[in-house]
Amino acid sequence: MQHVILGNGIAGVSAAEAIRRMDPRAGITMISDEQTVPYSRPMISMLLDGSAAPEQLPIRAERFYEDLGVTALLGKRVDAIDLQARRVALAGRAPVPFDRLLIATGADARRVEAQNDGLQNIFTMRRREDVQAMLAALGGTRRALVLGGGLVGFKAAYGLMKRGCRVTMLITSAYPLSMQVDETAGKMILDELLHHGLEVRVGVSVTAFEGRTSVSGAQLSDGGKVACDMVVIGKGVTPALDFVPLDRIDVDLGIRVDKHLETGAEGVYAAGDVAQCTDIARGRPWINAIWPEAAAQGRTAGMNMAGRAVAYRGSLGRNVMRVFDLDVMTLGLVDPPDDGTCTALTWQDPRRRMYRKLVLRENVPVGAVLINAVEQGGVLLSLIRNRAPLAIPPERLLEPSFNVRQLMGWG
Amino acid sequence: MKQVVVHPERCVGCMQCMVACAVAHSRSGQLYTALAERPRPRPRVHVGAGLYNEGFPNRCRHCDPAPCLLACLAGAIFRDAHTGTVLIDPDKCINCASCAMACPYGVIRFHEDPVAPPGKTVAVKCDNCDQRVAQGLAPACTEACKSGALTYEEMDEAMRRKTAEVARSVSTGAETAAVPPALALLMAVKKAELSL
Repeated sequence: MQHVILGNGIAGVSAAEAIRRMDPRAGITMISDEQTVPYSRPMISMLLDGSAAPEQLPIRAERFYEDLGVTALLGKRVDAIDLQARRVALAGRAPVPFDRLLIATGADARRVEAQNDGLQNIFTMRRREDVQAMLAALGGTRRALVLGGGLVGFKAAYGLMKRGCRVTMLITSAYPLSMQVDETAGKMILDELLHHGLEVRVGVSVTAFEGRTSVSGAQLSDGGKVACDMVVIGKGVTPALDFVPLDRIDVDLGIRVDKHLETGAEGVYAAGDVAQCTDIARGRPWINAIWPEAAAQGRTAGMNMAGRAVAYRGSLGRNVMRVFDLDVMTLGLVDPPDDGTCTALTWQDPRRRMYRKLVLRENVPVGAVLINAVEQGGVLLSLIRNRAPLAIPPERLLEPSFNVRQLMGWG
Repeated sequence: MKQVVVHPERCVGCMQCMVACAVAHSRSGQLYTALAERPRPRPRVHVGAGLYNEGFPNRCRHCDPAPCLLACLAGAIFRDAHTGTVLIDPDKCINCASCAMACPYGVIRFHEDPVAPPGKTVAVKCDNCDQRVAQGLAPACTEACKSGALTYEEMDEAMRRKTAEVARSVSTGAETAAVPPALALLMAVKKAELSL
């Protein structure tokens, strides 16, 4: 059996390991445009803020591919999939035949539509090389402009501030991380960042960049200007699927897969940021482009490819980050639609800067936000994931003394 | 292989296990000197309160598969092949709290620790006292527990004993309760307190 895996991110790596565990003799080929041993993508922001060294990034041994018996074709991007002949086409190389194919190509950073966006020192932050290039440019950087208040923009701003840059963040919504947290938590995070010297401009975007070879400023949609010698674009990602035959493989937000992570084409699977699964909290198709779900999907896809039918229960959005003195954890659906199907409970202790929110659909927890004291977050996550109705008053879950024993009832 | 077995119905909430655990994971290993140590030694077992304020000793289950291990972004969490214990490498840990987001029991804490690089906050949890066990000692929490809520025994044996206790307590004319009368009284008082 020949398995071909496109992508060496955590989804691809987890799939290769699952296949190898199931089938010691299977042929496995991994194709990736990143030329390294697999590394921890979430950690690139720590490379920027200086809390991690480059040698801490690899998540597998130097001889990962050899040890696992994987043929690695690195530095190559797939051009096309031929489903009839069952092979993938690569530039400058003979096509690679497959019996089972996994598309785990992840996503690429989105650029912005603005004049002169080809100037030097305008970065996206998706790969290790991106951060290495940013670090190389850091010497000449005094003022940085970060576009977007999402996770990447936010981590870029945090990292650059830690490195001593003056940072201006432009966001379109009223507070940062509006996709991840509710308004109360968002305002707390914003206050924390402002307190540490971040400048935030709300409701504006960039129309053009200025500079001769390297960026020196940006023109804004409100007519204003910002001087800067570095720009980081954190405007989200788009699934990397331009090689996918759209007539045979169904694509919506990402590649549609069934519960076994198989696409509409037999023997072709998808996992990670490129795949569209069902969101457990929302109950509808969604892409939760996060590392732990990519790992779980890769593992599940690998087992299915190797012949063991394993169902994937769906994905759940979640994040945890430490922002100066705030620990922020978000789980599932935190800003529910205003249609009366969900109720939200909140609890706050301003003195200890603690905030908690629990979102319920009928009596089933579907989302939570925790600011500070996040240790019990995993208990809430497993409740949300298991979709079990609560047997105790939901207010209990918000109290600082909440622990797993209380879920076992009054026995 | 022996392991730590938790009997929550026997916990009186005295927190002696927490003290013993903190001391066992201190530099000196002695209570009085441990009190003066910096970073302050902290427990890896956590006694919490249940719904009627009964005690509950919460510790790492060393799950297999372990959600924290699968969620670790830095590859710092691993399983000891010999003992099966899930361990955290303090040098690799990046204090990102992804493990806390994954742990369904809420047993992971973040603080400086004698075994971590000085000044570094890391994820810390129960290590099954593997070092004590290697020296022929029992895990510190089980040694300190006087109410039988934490025992160190073969799981099969613990299951058999428990089954027999329950069977005896439901038999007609039973004279022995599943938990000792003093403990049962304590729990009854705690429940009554709450209803008042």
